[in-house]
Amino acid sequence: MMLSLLLLPALIMFGVSFIKNNKAKYILAFTSLVILLPIVKLFLLSKPYNILGTYLVADKLDTYVLLVSSIVGIGVTLALLTLDKHVKVSANSYRRFYRFFAIFWVGLIFSILSNHMGVYWIGLELATLSTVYMIKTNHTLASHKEAWNYMIVGAIAISLVLFGIILMYASAKPILGEEAMQFDLLLAHAKDIPSPFLFEMGFAITTIGMFVKMGFFPMNLWLANIERASFYPVAALFSGILESAVIVGFFRFSQIAMKVNYDHLFIFIFIYTILTIFIVSFLIYRAKDFMRLFSLSGVEHMALVVMFWVSGAPFAALLHFGAHAFLKPALFISTGVLESTGKYKIAGALRGYKGKKGTLFWFLVSLFLLAIISLPPSPMFFSELYGFGAMIATAKESDHMLAMIGAILFLLILLSIIFYRFVAIYQTMKYEGEEEEKTVYSSELFALVIFAISLVILLLPQTLEFLHSVI
Amino acid sequence: MVDFLIGLFLASLIVALFTTRLYRLLLWYSLNSLTLGLLALSIGRDIDDNAMIITGVITIIIKAIGIPYILKNLSQKFNFVRQITPEIKVQYAIMLIPAILVFTFYLSEPIVHMIHTNANYVAISISSLFLSLLLMMEHKHVAPKIIGFLSMENSLFLLGVTATNGMPMLVELGIFFDLLMAIVVINLLFHKEEISL
Repeated sequence: MMLSLLLLPALIMFGVSFIKNNKAKYILAFTSLVILLPIVKLFLLSKPYNILGTYLVADKLDTYVLLVSSIVGIGVTLALLTLDKHVKVSANSYRRFYRFFAIFWVGLIFSILSNHMGVYWIGLELATLSTVYMIKTNHTLASHKEAWNYMIVGAIAISLVLFGIILMYASAKPILGEEAMQFDLLLAHAKDIPSPFLFEMGFAITTIGMFVKMGFFPMNLWLANIERASFYPVAALFSGILESAVIVGFFRFSQIAMKVNYDHLFIFIFIYTILTIFIVSFLIYRAKDFMRLFSLSGVEHMALVVMFWVSGAPFAALLHFGAHAFLKPALFISTGVLESTGKYKIAGALRGYKGKKGTLFWFLVSLFLLAIISLPPSPMFFSELYGFGAMIATAKESDHMLAMIGAILFLLILLSIIFYRFVAIYQTMKYEGEEEEKTVYSSELFALVIFAISLVILLLPQTLEFLHSVI
Repeated sequence: MVDFLIGLFLASLIVALFTTRLYRLLLWYSLNSLTLGLLALSIGRDIDDNAMIITGVITIIIKAIGIPYILKNLSQKFNFVRQITPEIKVQYAIMLIPAILVFTFYLSEPIVHMIHTNANYVAISISSLFLSLLLMMEHKHVAPKIIGFLSMENSLFLLGVTATNGMPMLVELGIFFDLLMAIVVINLLFHKEEISL
């Protein structure tokens, strides 16, 4: 019953997308908004809740991620309402976009709620394939090239994930049989896995596949170029929803890997994420347009989420994840207005707004820009405090305290490069360039307000208490 | 029988790497999938696993017949370039491919000790994965890259069959479904390209 409720809006959206009528646009948007209702219902149910046998099980972690994703989905839908006012998009492309958006949701629901490695992979693959067409909605040569690029590199990444899953399954099959695919059973029997090395190999390969999908080293610019070539709601969807499906998989796999051999996992992930942030910080320093800037900043934040998670600070990781999931799509959506006078015009992008709508727009965008560089009271400020604290606490239990302090100092230097760049960009946007009038539409402003309210809710004591109780 | 089929699987992939014509590449992919399907049937019969036998039959129908047929139709519909010369010269490929095979056997040495059934086949499936990646890299055109992606999926299927004696039926069916979805997306990408040009 619950599964039908969850899938129903997506299936209706898929069906309506075939109707060639102008009013279908509003039905599609309405159906997309309705997706939130069953997810809220699921969120309020007691956990764990079996949705489809042992294949799909809702717990606090996955319902939190799904709820965040559905709120981002609302923002994306609102931005889509005025997409044709900013860019050239045909009615047919618009309907097709929603058709694939519906398939994307089905894949997403399966991957996020899965308690089964195989079902997780199937859902993720479905979500990945459906996004390929969304990139192509923008009829330019660059988007065509990037759609193929995404198809091919995404396929390699997802194949690596499956490759790792097969190895992990092979490592646990002697004790669990066909049930070795289930996350909960693997977690319960992690210490009994007869071939831990095989499991770790599988985990490492799966992780690399997931990291490639999130634009980590060595594929840092891959995602940024794809998002640059797509329409801005697609970029918002990538950063706020698709990455959620990937990261929830990482959370599940790493929970098991932590029990198999924590030290191996920690060193591998820590070095990988530091390397990613090192490269990304310099790429951010050189970024010359909003889309690439926000995309690379997204990679940095996902690397921090991963780092906090493996450092024994799931609270910090989940808080950082929630803040990233709201902030980044908000900024991507605002790009539609910021770039209305030109793609590479950063100077003066925050000038030329008239009336209440315009004032509220530039005020919110300013807040979002300063929030992603972790200025208090941004949720990212608190998550980073908790995260770095947890890293030191982890190091205290080992013999590598000095190495950890060195690593944290190095990280802080890299983060300060990013901080400096964002502040410089903000000043250029606000105080330099010519003042050209820009139009802000109600729907996109409403989307930004929703994201701002969601960020405030993230900081409420009840939310923080909930995040503490997730793991 | 299994040894013969797995040898044929690897051989068809190696030959595909040297192919310079699109239709012949499709033929080698079809043969590669056929040997994979027969392999699943053979292992499934040996271990009395009905799920693997069903998977083998579906593999033959979808991958050995269906997908090459659809891709051939697509190539005719959208006038694909049929002369597909690999970027890596033959003399280098001759050295590179055995090097990959040897390297993979060396790389998979620690894993092979942990898998008790069909241990060497695991090494072959990993090397097939690398060779499929090479197929994707050595071509400029999109069509051979798609074949490379599909061959990579075949290698993973082989790994699933040999390392774990088959994945759960639900997962196998899901993978087939995703593969069909990939073909739909590929078709759409070509279709939109034609409209926009």
